[in-house]
Amino acid sequence: MISAGPGRFFFHLLVVALFLFLLGPVLLVFPISFSADSFIGWPPSGWSVKWYVAMLDQPTLGEALRNSLILAGIVTALALAIALPAAVALSRGSFPGRDAIMALLTAPLLLPTIVLGLALLIIFVTQGMIGSWPGLILAHLLLTVPYALRVLTTALGTLPASVEEAAASLGAPPLSVFFRVTLPLMAPGLVAAAAIVFLVSFDEVVITLFIVGPQLNTLPVALFRYVESRTDPLVAAVSVLMVLFTLLLVVVLERAIGLRKAIGGKGG
Amino acid sequence: MAPHLELHALEKRFGATRAVQALTLAVGKGELIGLLGPSGCGKTTTLRMIGGLMPASAGRIVVAGRDVTALPPHQRDMGIVFQNYALFPHMDVAQNLSFGLEMRKIPAAERAARVTRALAMVRLEAFARRKPRELSGGQQQRVALARALVIEPSILLLDEPLSNLDANLREEMRNEIRDIQQRLGITAVFVTHDQSEALAICDRIAVMRLGVLEQLGTPFEIYERPANEFVAGFVGRVNRAPAERLADGRLRLGELLVQGSGTAGPGPVTLMIRPHRIRLGDGALEGPGWNSATGTVTRRTFVGDLLSIEVTVGPATLLVEQHSFAGAPGPAPGDAVQLAWRAEDTLVFPARVPA
Repeated sequence: MISAGPGRFFFHLLVVALFLFLLGPVLLVFPISFSADSFIGWPPSGWSVKWYVAMLDQPTLGEALRNSLILAGIVTALALAIALPAAVALSRGSFPGRDAIMALLTAPLLLPTIVLGLALLIIFVTQGMIGSWPGLILAHLLLTVPYALRVLTTALGTLPASVEEAAASLGAPPLSVFFRVTLPLMAPGLVAAAAIVFLVSFDEVVITLFIVGPQLNTLPVALFRYVESRTDPLVAAVSVLMVLFTLLLVVVLERAIGLRKAIGGKGG
Repeated sequence: MAPHLELHALEKRFGATRAVQALTLAVGKGELIGLLGPSGCGKTTTLRMIGGLMPASAGRIVVAGRDVTALPPHQRDMGIVFQNYALFPHMDVAQNLSFGLEMRKIPAAERAARVTRALAMVRLEAFARRKPRELSGGQQQRVALARALVIEPSILLLDEPLSNLDANLREEMRNEIRDIQQRLGITAVFVTHDQSEALAICDRIAVMRLGVLEQLGTPFEIYERPANEFVAGFVGRVNRAPAERLADGRLRLGELLVQGSGTAGPGPVTLMIRPHRIRLGDGALEGPGWNSATGTVTRRTFVGDLLSIEVTVGPATLLVEQHSFAGAPGPAPGDAVQLAWRAEDTLVFPARVPA
């Protein structure tokens, strides 16, 4: 431990530098979103809220935002519906190939997303699923179920099996044990899994880029396209709102259940 | 008395290891039986099989004449107290107790009455609305006991229930468990690795080692007439000395000839004598039925209520324990002392064949 003297000072300096490095670009977006200029530049020549007003006049972005919210909502519900039974089976059951299945189900976390995107493109083209809701939902499930599974198995892992055994010994059949004991005790894990799945789906660009079509677009992809053709600070204004939305979600969760604890870290 | 719980050739295998081997045991109605042994002896595995938390590999479990071997835990009607208590952390004390009654579809009014009675039984009436994390270890233990008993199970299973408590509380809880068990007249199985716990409260004790039942008997039988060297050594402290059984039945310990119990021999044997059964004497105790020897004190340890003295007698070193008395420091190292002990306190077992 660094406890005192110049060592401590430099340690603090290092931490501050790291935070600036990580958060700097995000923080920079805030002043730029209030720029009066018509292009992204630093420093802005004047200040204005006109880019926030201009957002209201962007039907494409509005449509994309609506799509993204619906998509993230559906994906969250489905990912939990798939991952919860899987997590229970994987952490409570004992059957041959258990570890292999766990590895298989979490493997997409390790694959480069660009590879996944390309593979999905090839499959979806032959099935006519490009630019369709089922296609997008499937692709996002592929990406988010491993996250949900990880968080839920961690939540189940910290729950002592003897508590469930006690419930069974008191006369509770397996379903009652699950709904009266297991599920309430893993509620923080469920909420955390839902939040992570929602955010991952809401922010996902790489895979989505491959499979969106002209009729169906998501907000991150729409923004990506927007920046390709224009360089005005509208994107910064949208980004600020997205950052604030994400931050709000995380703060609410942290307050409500202790997100860090639910994810499996040392909760405070 | 017809047995209430019967184990017939019960067996548990994990791959090639046999954690419990051909265990046959009958427990009477209202009896408190202890499963005692070192870790890995199969006692907890046996308890889990009885409770249905672990399937048996072979054998049968019979409760009141009914074979329950294949029943899942929620149909076995057994109350289990777990080592870590396993209280439901998201429910308060009253809800913890009420859970089993709800599962049995007991009407709400009767549920409330039974919960109140069970809380009174463990003297926790004031804590009904507390969450488990707001209770001390001893209180959590009592909640766990009340929760297991409020359903009025046919059998109470206790898995090392005292091992997480500190020493003072352990003795108090041990007696409380025994009192409640006797008051309710409930058949109970008590798993422990602590021999003094088992001796203090069990009607009978099953001593286990490596999955095998070594001896089944009352605490008195287990302590005074251990079936073999393992039981003698595990239950209580004991002196061990190699000796030889002569043709006339006497035992030769170096130069010394003594009398002992048992029929092991003739040939090499192991003598076992409990330290507190040896008296430091002046020769007055010598007589028929008594062994005596002269030795040299090599160490003296004062542990408050006890004085423990190490005495070298020929080839053997014997530990002698006496109650300490004020003003009597006892013999010092180097002193010659006379020892005396009864022939029946000299346990004799066949010497273990060197592997």
